[in-house]
Amino acid sequence: MAKRQKRFQVLADRPVNKDGFIKEWIEVGLVAMDSPNDPKPGIKIQGGKVLELDGKDRDHFDMIDTWIADHCIDVSVANEAMAIDSTEFARMLVDIHVPRSEIVRLSVGLTPAKVLDILKKMNVVELMMAMQKLRPRRTPSNQAHVTNLKDTPALLGADAAEAAYRGFSELETTVGVGRYAPSNALSLLVGSQTGRPGVITQCAVEESLELTMGMRGLTAYAETVSVYGTDQVFVDGDDTPWSKAFLASAYASRGLKMRFTSGTGSEVQMGYAEGKSMLYLEIRCVMITKGAGVQGLQNGSISVIGVPGAVPSGIRAVLAENVATVLMDLEVASGNDQTFTHSPIRNTARMLMQFLPGTDLIFSGYSSVPNYDNMFAGSTHDCDDYDDFLVLQRDLQVDGGLHPVTEEEVIAIRNKGARAMQAVFYELGLPAITDEEVEAATYAHGSKDMPDRNVPEDLRAIDQFMKRGSTGLDVVRALAKQGFNDVAEAVLGLLKQKVSGDYLHTSAIFDTKFEVLSAVNDPNDYEGPGTGYRLEGERWERLKDIPQAIRPEDV
Amino acid sequence: MSDEQLLRRVEHMARARGLDISPDVVAEAVKRVLTELGESPGQSDDASMGSGKLNARRDFPLGAKRPDLVRSASGLHLDEITLEKVLGGKIGFEDIRIRPETLEYQAQIAESAGRPFLAANLRRAGELTRIPDERVLEIYNALRPYRSTKRDLLEMADELESKYQARVCAGLVREAAEVYERRGRLKA
Repeated sequence: MAKRQKRFQVLADRPVNKDGFIKEWIEVGLVAMDSPNDPKPGIKIQGGKVLELDGKDRDHFDMIDTWIADHCIDVSVANEAMAIDSTEFARMLVDIHVPRSEIVRLSVGLTPAKVLDILKKMNVVELMMAMQKLRPRRTPSNQAHVTNLKDTPALLGADAAEAAYRGFSELETTVGVGRYAPSNALSLLVGSQTGRPGVITQCAVEESLELTMGMRGLTAYAETVSVYGTDQVFVDGDDTPWSKAFLASAYASRGLKMRFTSGTGSEVQMGYAEGKSMLYLEIRCVMITKGAGVQGLQNGSISVIGVPGAVPSGIRAVLAENVATVLMDLEVASGNDQTFTHSPIRNTARMLMQFLPGTDLIFSGYSSVPNYDNMFAGSTHDCDDYDDFLVLQRDLQVDGGLHPVTEEEVIAIRNKGARAMQAVFYELGLPAITDEEVEAATYAHGSKDMPDRNVPEDLRAIDQFMKRGSTGLDVVRALAKQGFNDVAEAVLGLLKQKVSGDYLHTSAIFDTKFEVLSAVNDPNDYEGPGTGYRLEGERWERLKDIPQAIRPEDV
Repeated sequence: MSDEQLLRRVEHMARARGLDISPDVVAEAVKRVLTELGESPGQSDDASMGSGKLNARRDFPLGAKRPDLVRSASGLHLDEITLEKVLGGKIGFEDIRIRPETLEYQAQIAESAGRPFLAANLRRAGELTRIPDERVLEIYNALRPYRSTKRDLLEMADELESKYQARVCAGLVREAAEVYERRGRLKA
């Protein structure tokens, strides 16, 4: 083109045009929710056994087909559920006169291809309506990422304290350097209970180490237990549905909450999508999870959001996979946890799909740290977006799980989190956290504001800490000895939850008094206007009261 | 003789004979024998184990609504686990571990809330409470693809069943052995 049109020149420089887009490419599975290779729905049952699933007979079942047929599908409702026309079933999902319980009863009679056929009939507004009605817990909530480039403990403690204080009910960390994992888990445990007792924490690392830290009481739940939608990718991920189901029981046997993780696009990225649509494969993951008896699932593409994000209707498919999860009566931690676009407009539009209807955990999680410190490769929104998020809640009267705070309060809570970490490191014989680090962590934007630590010395000490067999009880003692009795009580309170097991139930989180809020005692009762969760009363008063709003009496 | 004394005596006898039996297995055996004799072991603790199942509306959360039923692996009630005792060195890690009865109660709650799949997982978990941490991790790793021969898996299933009374978990491992063989996921 010899001469450029000036508007097109401007458009070419817009952030959205730095994003990657691709046309549908069926053979490699680059198709959101409608591949000609997706099987047709169908089931044949004989003698209480599934003999044929979505057009495939039992002799040709792969591992995942076998698991779904034998562990997920309830043959006593399958014929009834499969006989309902897919459009009719889709209408039931949005019909306020069909109760959630009826949908859930029928959902275990559906095959993966049938669930796909139902969800394909729905546009994003209908999918949001389904989410609003079907999420298991009545009260929506949110999860945060707490990580940093240096794995520096004072900052992790301060950030965890602030995130807990701002309203997140779950905090997740991971590592820059692998051997820091126990230290990061410890920092989140201490920081979270400083910020708000009852917040639960996890450390996403390799499966065995993650379980070990949970068994020791350094974490309170787990999430990074990945499942996949094709046999080959599952095995490449070094697991099978059987090993993962055993792992799920292992967590519960130590009184630990856990959920599985999956997401559209992972099979494409790992090269074995079998030409099926991303949503079809993801529905298989949801059903693997259901069959394992796990209470919930983190999905919404998660770390491969760039893949569905690049194809037509991809972001709709991501919402549809969240809906597939709640359709199966599973807690959903609904993604929004990785940067996928340069465009702030696209970024927020993608997030509204979960924010507006509300999910069990809208983000999994929201980056409570600057983007450069996020070791999960960024998130859709981070600490610099807090005020935008609070204003969105206020504009739309939607509860996204956060509430306004003041700078003074946050300085105080960050300082206490960092000091609590200093105390614990001292008592546990870990390399000292200096007063300079505490001060820096209190006022930091991110790890660039933190002094460097002696990494080899840290790692040696952390290895020793694990070798000694230190547990959450040692953390309780350390905190109390150094005068942090309230934090010690909170950490002990968290450890005691593993004795009663109340938070093993679907969609369980805690309030400040460690009273559990789950789908059992806070079930979603949405049946149209005037029912279900409503942002009103004291909670609305708190959320709408942003400090920057002008008061009439000051005018 | 009280239940606890009886339990301790059986444990002592087992140890004297060099038998490697976990205390939980002994406790369960004692309970079963006592039940058969028509004698209720413990008091209110086990009232719900027989006929009356727990109910999601009435009994959940257990910690708040049925504190009488919640005890740690070592037998402590929640209100007996205090900061003072932790500082006095009187609370060990066993005192803050969940016990199989609690997982059974939670399974009943899950069932009454319409969640049989979750209940089944919690019952498998109840079986795994009897197995030491390291062995649980080993079994998990052995179930990963290409780690075990069919024979390894079947022996592991036998161990789960005979040593730990983990019948449901043993079934899961046997099923894995069949599927792994058919789909070529066993150790070469």
